[in-house]
Parts: sequence; structure tokens; C-alpha cells
Amino acid sequence: MSVNKNKIDNEDLIICRCEEVSKKEILEAIADGARDLRGVRIRTRSGMGLCQGRSCEVLVRKIISQQLGTNLKELPPSTRRPPVRPIGLKLFMEDDNGFKE
Amino acid sequence: MALKNNLDAVIVGGGVIGAACAYFLTKAGMKVGLFEKGDIASGASGGCDGNIMAQDHQPGYDTNLTMISNKMYKELLKELDWDIEYSEKGSILVIETEDELKFMLDRMKQQLACGLPVRFIDKDELYQQEPLLAPGFLGAIECSSDAACMPIQVVIALVRKARSLGAEIHTFEEVKKVKLDKKGKISGIVTVEGEISTSIVVNCCGAWAPFLGKMVNLDIPIKPRRGQLVVVEQVAQVGHRKISEAHYIVAKFNPELAEGTDSDLIKYGVAFVFEPTASGNMLLGSCREFAGYDTRTTLPAIRAIIQRAIHFIPSLKYLHCIRTYAGLRPYTPDHLSIVSQVDEVPGFYIAAGAEGDGIGIAPITGLLMSQIILGQKTTIDINPLRWSRFSES
Repeated sequence: MSVNKNKIDNEDLIICRCEEVSKKEILEAIADGARDLRGVRIRTRSGMGLCQGRSCEVLVRKIISQQLGTNLKELPPSTRRPPVRPIGLKLFMEDDNGFKE
Repeated sequence: MALKNNLDAVIVGGGVIGAACAYFLTKAGMKVGLFEKGDIASGASGGCDGNIMAQDHQPGYDTNLTMISNKMYKELLKELDWDIEYSEKGSILVIETEDELKFMLDRMKQQLACGLPVRFIDKDELYQQEPLLAPGFLGAIECSSDAACMPIQVVIALVRKARSLGAEIHTFEEVKKVKLDKKGKISGIVTVEGEISTSIVVNCCGAWAPFLGKMVNLDIPIKPRRGQLVVVEQVAQVGHRKISEAHYIVAKFNPELAEGTDSDLIKYGVAFVFEPTASGNMLLGSCREFAGYDTRTTLPAIRAIIQRAIHFIPSLKYLHCIRTYAGLRPYTPDHLSIVSQVDEVPGFYIAAGAEGDGIGIAPITGLLMSQIILGQKTTIDINPLRWSRFSES
């Protein structure tokens, strides 16, 4: 049996594992007015967990594009914020820690 | 271009202030439309830490405003059918020096006179309650009524409720023009999608309020002041309530006592704020800086915030930062919000300029705006919030 990876049918499917957000909740957010990743994020917490959307972003983008009929390429990316991955607070204790702006 | 139905009032701005004004005006029976350039909560309301805090305010009017608003939040919890993660967990301001101690104890007397439930916690009690604090602090001032909430959920809750009561919510619909009639009164707006006639426009654009002001030739003295925050990973409880430093209050109201403070702290306006959230994450703040409309986070400010946080709670150094973010607080020269009619432009109203207190005072701001527009007696004296104060001195 072949699996169509672009089709996400089951509404109970957990899309954002960090914050346990189901497809149903994402659909509700879109019905509530969310048009992009940030809109879904603020309404459901998807992408607000430890991985910051690195796992779920692709799926959420697909769902938004399916629902709104927008071309995937036209969907704006989520707001990029440092750090790119979780980083120890202790690394900030020295003024010169090798980080650059 | 579709002509929308005429509206009794147009609210411009989909942050917490616009949402509160839309809710209270709709509840009062007006046909309201809220217009927002982007999505709801896309400005300061979506880039802050959800304070409903009275103990960091000047004793007097400013403190009273937040106290009334906090009481209103408790009523709103019954009216809004959406979880805003409200929690009245209290807050403490940690005292580090003898000078701060004297200042804070004097100030506490004035706060008590306002009816704010504050008390001094001595060293022993402080370390019993907050064992993770670094050693050497002298005590703290506790305010048991200070509360926190999830700010974005507050906006969502108010917008949903306003919509269910009949308000029109137009997100992603930027207002391009505010129209005046021959007598100079408000007659309508033009958005990217069409024209709407109305005799009332409420400017709830926060740090962007001056742009809407320009459309009716007003020079609104609000400036964007950037605040940056650090999100810490979810772990078992480090602290159960908001902890900030007394030095912040001392420096804010008594700058000469702040001399000798580390220069980066002054440069970025950094003061320690630790906020455990309902989700289990912790937020670290705070900073205040004028950087135009730039909403990026910067390494020097983030570093100063984290260093200050570790100075107070050393074990934070074993945790991880998962994200940083920033928001633009609408700053006014006298640190008070504008909640007012504008006599020069009949029908134009302003509810903006709460700087970092927008979430805290949103309910009272929305209620006052509806009372002003409907010509009702206001819940609290609105004189300090009047627009005309800027042209008087």
C-alpha cells in the first residue's frame, strides 16, 4: 500500500508533538482566521515547544495551504528568532563567548 | 470594492487594547468593526510577558488603574469562554542593598495607603519561599494580588467574544485613510478592501498610533520602545510566581540610587524579571530601549538579561534558552496611557500608549473608552489620561 505523504486525513493526528497539537486544532485555528504559521502558532501553541516548530512546520504549512488554497511557496515562513537550537544559558555568562551579532 | 455596512464605531488595531475596546463597545450595544493590518496580537500584545502587575507602578492613580483592571479580569473570566491562563500568583521584588531597602519600605507605606496588598518579607522567609535565590539578599516586597496571564489568549478571547456579540473582525485589512466631513468630523475610513462610513474611529494602534494620527493631522507623541525576552525550556518548577528586582523600581523612580550599576544594564534598560508561565516555560526579561520599529532581538541585550537572571537565580545556568522575542511598547513622555476623545477631530478617539502595561490595563481601558464614547460617568477619573495634556504645558 502506498502512502500519500501530502494527504493528512486523520483529524486526531498529533501534528506538533512538543505541544501536542492535533490536526483538528490546527483546522479550527485556520477557521478562526489564521492565515499563516504565526497565526496557527498563536492560536494553538504549535511550534512553541522545545523544537520550535522544526518538526511540525512542514506539516502545518501543508495543512494551511490545503485549507486556504494558497500555494506553498507563497506562504510566509515563521518568524525566525535566535537561537537556532536550544542553547545553555551558562554560555551567556562570559561577555566574550565567541558569539557574534 | 464592496461597500460594507455603516458602522457605529471603527476600532483600528487588533492588539489587546483594540480587542478590549471592541468587546466593551459591542457589549454596550454599538455596531463595531475592528480593523487590523495583520493578524490579531501581531504587535506588542504578541511580544510581551502578560503582566497584570500593580506593585511596579507609582503609588496613586497608576496603581489604582491596574487594581481596578485586575478586578475586572476576574469578572471577565466568567464572561469569556476561552482560557486566558489567568493566575493571581503574586509577585515579589527582591531587595539587594540597604538603600533599596529604605526606599522600598517608604514606598510600601504609600502602596498600602492605596489599598494594595503588599508586605515586607524578611530574609529568612524569603529564602524559605525561594530557596533557589542567590544568597545575600535582604528581603523582598510581596504583592499578593499581582497576576499573570497568556497575553495572546487574552486578545483571542476578547475578539472571539466581541465577534459572538456581533462585532465585525477584519484582520489583514489595513486602514489607508480616515475621512473627515466638511466640518472636520470623522465620516469614514478607507481600507485596502473598500470604504466604510462611520462617525467614530478609535485609534488602538499602540506603537503605531502616530501613523493613524497623521491621517487626521495629529502628532501623537508615542514612541516604540523595544522590550526583549528570553524563553526558557519547560522544566519542573523553578519558581511559582513572578520575581523581579527592587533595583528596577529604585532606578525607575530614583535614578541617583542607580549609580554604579553595570553599564550594559543601563544601556539596554535591563532589569531582572522572572516569569513562570502556565505552559511550564519561564520567561526572562526585561529591557527597554528605543530602536525605532526594529523588532529583532540583539545579542548584547539578551546576554545582559540572562546574566542578570543568573545573578538572582544561579541555577538557571543549567537550563536552556529555546527562543528570544521582542515587542514594541507604546511609550508616552509621561508614562501614562492616552484614553481620550480628541477635541480637534470630533469622532476621533485614542486608546494607546500604555507602554508595558497594556495587558494589565486593557479591561479598564476598554470600559473607559466605551463610557467616554457613550457619554457615561467613568469608573475612574479620566483626567490624567486625557489627550489635551500634551498641548497644555
